[in-house]
Amino acid sequence: MKLALVVQRYGLEINGGAELHCRWVAEHLKKYAEVEVLTTRASDYITWKNSYSRDEEDVNGIRVRRFPVVRTRDPRRFGRLQEWLLGHEHQEADELRWLDEEGPRAPALIQYLKDSEGAYDYFIFFSYRYYHSYWGIKTLPRRSILVPTAERDPVVGFRIFQDLFRTPRAIIYNSVEERKMINDVSGNHSVPGDIVGVGTEVPGRYSGEAFRQKHKLSGPYVLYLGRIDENKGCHKLFEYFLRFKRESGSEVKLVLAGNTVIQVPSDPDIHYLGFLGDVEKFDALDGAEFLVMPSFYESLSMVTLEAWALGKPVLANALCDVLKGQCLRSNGGLYYETYPEFREALSLLLSSPRLRVVLGENGRRYFEANYAWDVIEKKYLALLNRMEKEKGA
Amino acid sequence: MEGEKIAIDYDRVDVARIMEQIKDKTAAEAAVEFPARGTAAAPAAGIDFAAGLGKGRRVLLKIMSPFAPLIKLFILPVHEELRRAVLILDHANRRIDRLEKERERIDRLQEYTKLLHHLCHNLVVEISKLKIEEETLKTKARIMEKDFGFLEKREKALEKDILK
Repeated sequence: MKLALVVQRYGLEINGGAELHCRWVAEHLKKYAEVEVLTTRASDYITWKNSYSRDEEDVNGIRVRRFPVVRTRDPRRFGRLQEWLLGHEHQEADELRWLDEEGPRAPALIQYLKDSEGAYDYFIFFSYRYYHSYWGIKTLPRRSILVPTAERDPVVGFRIFQDLFRTPRAIIYNSVEERKMINDVSGNHSVPGDIVGVGTEVPGRYSGEAFRQKHKLSGPYVLYLGRIDENKGCHKLFEYFLRFKRESGSEVKLVLAGNTVIQVPSDPDIHYLGFLGDVEKFDALDGAEFLVMPSFYESLSMVTLEAWALGKPVLANALCDVLKGQCLRSNGGLYYETYPEFREALSLLLSSPRLRVVLGENGRRYFEANYAWDVIEKKYLALLNRMEKEKGA
Repeated sequence: MEGEKIAIDYDRVDVARIMEQIKDKTAAEAAVEFPARGTAAAPAAGIDFAAGLGKGRRVLLKIMSPFAPLIKLFILPVHEELRRAVLILDHANRRIDRLEKERERIDRLQEYTKLLHHLCHNLVVEISKLKIEEETLKTKARIMEKDFGFLEKREKALEKDILK
């Protein structure tokens, strides 16, 4: 079987979101099928500026074909258009204009898909909201599998996407909540699909102690991993954490790692460590009391799964239905909506090592039952086999 | 900040149960938080709720507890929830509009289908009539052929008689 995974960006430098999800799936499926990745030359998700120069290359044993982006994104123009669309009655043509503005506009990629339909058995598209998925699935509806990685973002209600969610041969969802949301907005109950998600690569060795020594951290700390951004709820996290510190006098520290979009408050109890590599990320998790996940919009939250893989509990934002659902299903973390709930949950987790251990263990079991790579691979293969059988019938 | 302890069964930790207890605990506190915030700007009743007044505080809490949901509604940061609710409603509204248009289109299609059905029915009736008429005409033609044959024979017989 020959599979093409189609994604907006691809590379070892891109270490998050649907792109990393795609890379991990590609690297795991290559055991069972011939896998190629079709992507753009962009590495920056804001402008989609072409930065990879080669048309073809090998990335961790996967053949990657790159196609040029013909127009970079103007974030301000795009933002204005999106704002207008979300607030006004509009036509489908306006939404298609929005899709063009969003990009990454790579018509050569779509032409390649059209020309090489017979060369691949299935095309797996990652991220529903970009140009490549919309036009790619429209070009090859009968061979397409969509991995939407959809968050509870208002654009999911656009009419063009209602149609898109009804078009592919199958859909691979990340969570129960994502499936329900997409079913609700598009009525695509008849499109076959499964809730699969993605696994994670836990390094063989990690050491919280080494991490503490390296960064001179003493005493307990809670960890936030990911982009430090308003959309990720970081502003609320800072506000709640500093208020908690003022009111409780606790010695706990907040350690942050990831790229910054907003300013990190200058406070002795908040440590910003910049971007951490894969191994160091697990060292940081190992040393933490638990992970805090304040994001409002998540389709899965890979970092939450990584915490559970290490047996660490999670304190999540309950306003994100996926995070709340995952905590309830796993019994692996607490959640909060308001400051009093944040304070109580944080106090409870900090004061009860036993609770942390039990929640972490529940999280680990949940991870192993649902998100270990052999489970994920089996689900992908089962779906592909089902489609093959349907094709044969 | 002190309050009733959260009961946890460590052998069977249930996050939903723990969160219910946290919510119950914080809901009572939310009732206090509102006037406490108010006092920061203008000390309305001259009582510092945030500081806590022991028995008096508990009595006030008890009196205010029926109003807790209402107070919570006014003081909690519901704008985000409202914004999301508005967005969801907006999407639902658009979907209903689309479904309404779709329904109108289906109604029109239904009318059109009915007309087509009538047309088909009438065409079948007309074709049946034509078929019957065709059969009648064929029969008439056959009779006329026979008459013609008879007349031919008679003509020949008469010709013979005359020539004799």
